[in-house]
Amino acid sequence: MAVFLQSLISGILIGGVYALIGIGLTLIFGVMRVINFAHGDILMVGMYLTYMIFTLLGIDPFVSVLITFPLMFLFGGFLQKVFINRVLDALAQNQILLTIGLGLIMSNTVMLIFTSDYKILSTSYSSATIKVGGGVSVSTPLLISFLITAAITAALYWFLLKTDTGQAIRATAQDRDAAQLMGINVKRMSIIAFGLGSALAGTAGALISPTYYIFPQVGSVFTLKAFVITVLGGMGSVVGATLGGVLIGITESMSAVYISSGWKDVVVFVLFLLVLLFKPSGLMGKSRT
Amino acid sequence: MRKHLLALSAALVLTPCLMAQKIGVINSMSGPEAPIGENITNGIKLAEEDLKKKGVNLQLVWEDDTGKPQISMSAMEKLATRENVVGVVGPYTSACSNAVAKLAEKYHVPLLIPAAAKEEITRQGLAHVFRMNAPADKYASSLIDAAASLGKPKTIAFIYENTDFGTSTSKTAKDYVATKGIQVVADVSYPKGSADYRSTLAQIKSKNPDLVFMVSYVADAILLMRQSREVGLQPQAFLGAGAGFTTVEFAKERAISDNVISCTQWTDDVNWPGAKDFGARYKAKFGKEPTYHAACAYASMIIMAETAKASGSDRVKTRAALKAGKWNGIMGEVKFADYDGFTNQNNHQMLVQQIIAGKYETVLPAQFATKKAIYPFPKWK
Amino acid sequence: MNKTILKSAFNLLLLVGLLIIPRYVESPYALHMMILLFMSVAQGQSWNILGGYAGQHSVGHAAYFGVGAYTTMMLMHSKGIVPWVGVWAGMAAVVVVALIIGSICFRLRGPYFVLASIAVAEIMRLSAINLTTLTNGAEGILATEIPAFKIGATVVTDFVTKVPFYYIGLFLVLLTLGVTYWVQHSKLGYFFQAIREDQDAAHSLGINIALYKNIGLVISAVLTSLAGSFYGIYVGFVDPPTVLGLDVSVQIMLICIIGGMGTIWGPVLGSLILVPLSEALRSNMVTDLLVKIGMVNADSRIGIFLKENLSHAHVLLYGILVVLVILFMPDGLMGFVKKLALRRKREAV
Repeated sequence: MAVFLQSLISGILIGGVYALIGIGLTLIFGVMRVINFAHGDILMVGMYLTYMIFTLLGIDPFVSVLITFPLMFLFGGFLQKVFINRVLDALAQNQILLTIGLGLIMSNTVMLIFTSDYKILSTSYSSATIKVGGGVSVSTPLLISFLITAAITAALYWFLLKTDTGQAIRATAQDRDAAQLMGINVKRMSIIAFGLGSALAGTAGALISPTYYIFPQVGSVFTLKAFVITVLGGMGSVVGATLGGVLIGITESMSAVYISSGWKDVVVFVLFLLVLLFKPSGLMGKSRT
Repeated sequence: MRKHLLALSAALVLTPCLMAQKIGVINSMSGPEAPIGENITNGIKLAEEDLKKKGVNLQLVWEDDTGKPQISMSAMEKLATRENVVGVVGPYTSACSNAVAKLAEKYHVPLLIPAAAKEEITRQGLAHVFRMNAPADKYASSLIDAAASLGKPKTIAFIYENTDFGTSTSKTAKDYVATKGIQVVADVSYPKGSADYRSTLAQIKSKNPDLVFMVSYVADAILLMRQSREVGLQPQAFLGAGAGFTTVEFAKERAISDNVISCTQWTDDVNWPGAKDFGARYKAKFGKEPTYHAACAYASMIIMAETAKASGSDRVKTRAALKAGKWNGIMGEVKFADYDGFTNQNNHQMLVQQIIAGKYETVLPAQFATKKAIYPFPKWK
Repeated sequence: MNKTILKSAFNLLLLVGLLIIPRYVESPYALHMMILLFMSVAQGQSWNILGGYAGQHSVGHAAYFGVGAYTTMMLMHSKGIVPWVGVWAGMAAVVVVALIIGSICFRLRGPYFVLASIAVAEIMRLSAINLTTLTNGAEGILATEIPAFKIGATVVTDFVTKVPFYYIGLFLVLLTLGVTYWVQHSKLGYFFQAIREDQDAAHSLGINIALYKNIGLVISAVLTSLAGSFYGIYVGFVDPPTVLGLDVSVQIMLICIIGGMGTIWGPVLGSLILVPLSEALRSNMVTDLLVKIGMVNADSRIGIFLKENLSHAHVLLYGILVVLVILFMPDGLMGFVKKLALRRKREAV
């Protein structure tokens, strides 16, 4: 029983961070219909940024989120304005390839600067735990990540529901042409959406850096996971991505115990294919082609 | 006229001394194994300096295999056919070493492997392949014997990366514990880079093993121990059979690495000639303490270079001289012998160490011990 | 008429030239480069049939490459089956794999098809890691001794030098070029292109979409598996990330993207750019060149930085190339060249 509970709890905690990655991707797709294959690499940039801030300025990774979030927002906006904007009307394949290319540039530039050695961020509480009783313990850094994720997600909901810009973004996601006719600057919305998506990805990177290793190629693993999450939740649905993230976190954790550590990723991909085949609009998504 | 003759004869006498030995080095200088590969690079650099003082000049050709066997193989090919080196020192990982060994035999180039664990490498009857370090079977036996001498363990759990290194080291350990009557209660191989072992470790914890035997490189070693602490895995001993458990980075993480027992090919406490001095000089020059890989690489390069010079830079003679020779240096006595199915294997004595108060202390064998082992593993704070 | 004769004459000369190179060039390094080039062209051409002509952009072609490589290597290593028999087993295996993958992926369109193709390739890679009794898991298969190829009692080659590999590579290139040419000029090619341009319109015209997509996939997969088997035997070592990894799929696609999809010479052009470029970077030729022409001082900080790091930069260059090509030359180099030629023709008039 303890094993089951332990797996469930770690799965939920890690799932929270996955959710953040998924939300970022789903925002980008919802607003621009662009499949961003560089999402994981943007997360990786967030990780390295956090690492640099930690080693050079001594700022705790969780605190440095306050710095990382705006910086990654600007980075995302820049990518959108200079590169992605030009292919918004091109073939889907070209958009995918462009983002793949950007991802390659990002991961390899980081590799040149930092070398591909695995880096580990160690804080004083990196291995601290909170005992929950029943033989189950919760990793302190993971718990903090989860709480910060929940806070950011709540802030995002409020932004999208209550602010003018947030509603403008939702309008653009719903129907780009209609939104433009209503006077919304859709080009600006795209930049904000990509910026926001990147900020979320970068922040997710910052949040997992105390519990993961940091290396230039870490991006590709997360890009694939992010896609599974967004498809599962429904492309364009923030709630869906949140649910999807937690679900995938639990699936992984449970599979590692009840099937095997080696096959857990296969389970996730098989689930992915099943969703793509039988319910492509995902758990919460509306049917779109 | 006489001046010319004098100059000519001086040149003729000095040239062979000035003639540099062209030796190839294959190492993981970038990629995930790079942090350890760096030790090998530095060990060789120190050797190069010391050899120069003795009048042996080296022309080293460095090849980076990034940890991938196929790149190692093309590096070997390049060294053997295009660079025409006398011999090669390296590579680092088991997978790369195994791949390169066959090529060394094909091209008749003497290959001296400093630190790769996989037993099979020197069990293939390859006349050109020599290995400095003790192979995986020694890793297993020294750790298990140490645990058995300190307590009465009855059960053991294995967790290891699913690479050549992890699989072969744990396999040989599994065979060994069977002979000692210790029961295997868990056997988990994980894909490198998974990073979340919590649920697996929780599962291992539920089996209540007396010993936990781990085989990993650096990053995983740290994460495994961190998460072991998280889930409260409390065996009598953590046995770290992988290179990851012997590095300075690992020892620094005191909250999770103190009291982990690991095995090593070398420490600077051992009274092998020049060992302590090597440790001190390495630290002074590179700013950090050497791992055993540095010592293995150093000794390997010294042996390869001196043998190459004495054999007139001839591959055939060098190989024969490596086979016949005997040395005594910072790795203790070195002789490449054939025994128990091994070919050209140095029957090296392994040491068991434990991290006590953030420092590596040799605990076994008794004649080299600097501190008494702490057993069983103290309760996690 | 004259142009066609000229073209054919040029092609013939090129072929003869390629055939006799090993007689005059002995350097194993030069032969190695040519072999890498041939392999790249073969991979690109194979992908082109499904991606360029039929418009199905699979980012999971590593699955077929890996199945070919693993089947041949597994059979040679554990059962001692000679590779020229093993490749047939590889092709048979890959047909089955392709049909299964097709049945899953072809129900999806556009970006969803891409995602599914990636997922299946990843499933194959992870399976290869976990099915250790079959594939030796993450350790990979090391098999460097190839049995001698005999016809009757005479030994044709014992694979000691690179020359036999050169000819096998050349054969693969000619094979894939031939198949591409045939596809382009046959009715099959018409169907493919119709599907590529507008799948629904093609369907309404009565073209059996599922059938032709699968035919395209099978042809493409079989050719890719041949390239994979060749890779395995040539290098002598395969493991899951090397032959089934996502970066393999991306690299295969890159050859066509940069060269130009849906054209016969596109992949050739793409390979001619990518292969020498990556090798030049990997072996520090670029740094040495910069030092030689005096642009960079070998001992300066820039010099040392370049020397240590430029060799790892070839993938960075791929990324930059892709971005440039997508932004400015979406039809690849071939497309760009054709446009230029067309413009010049118009201006000449």
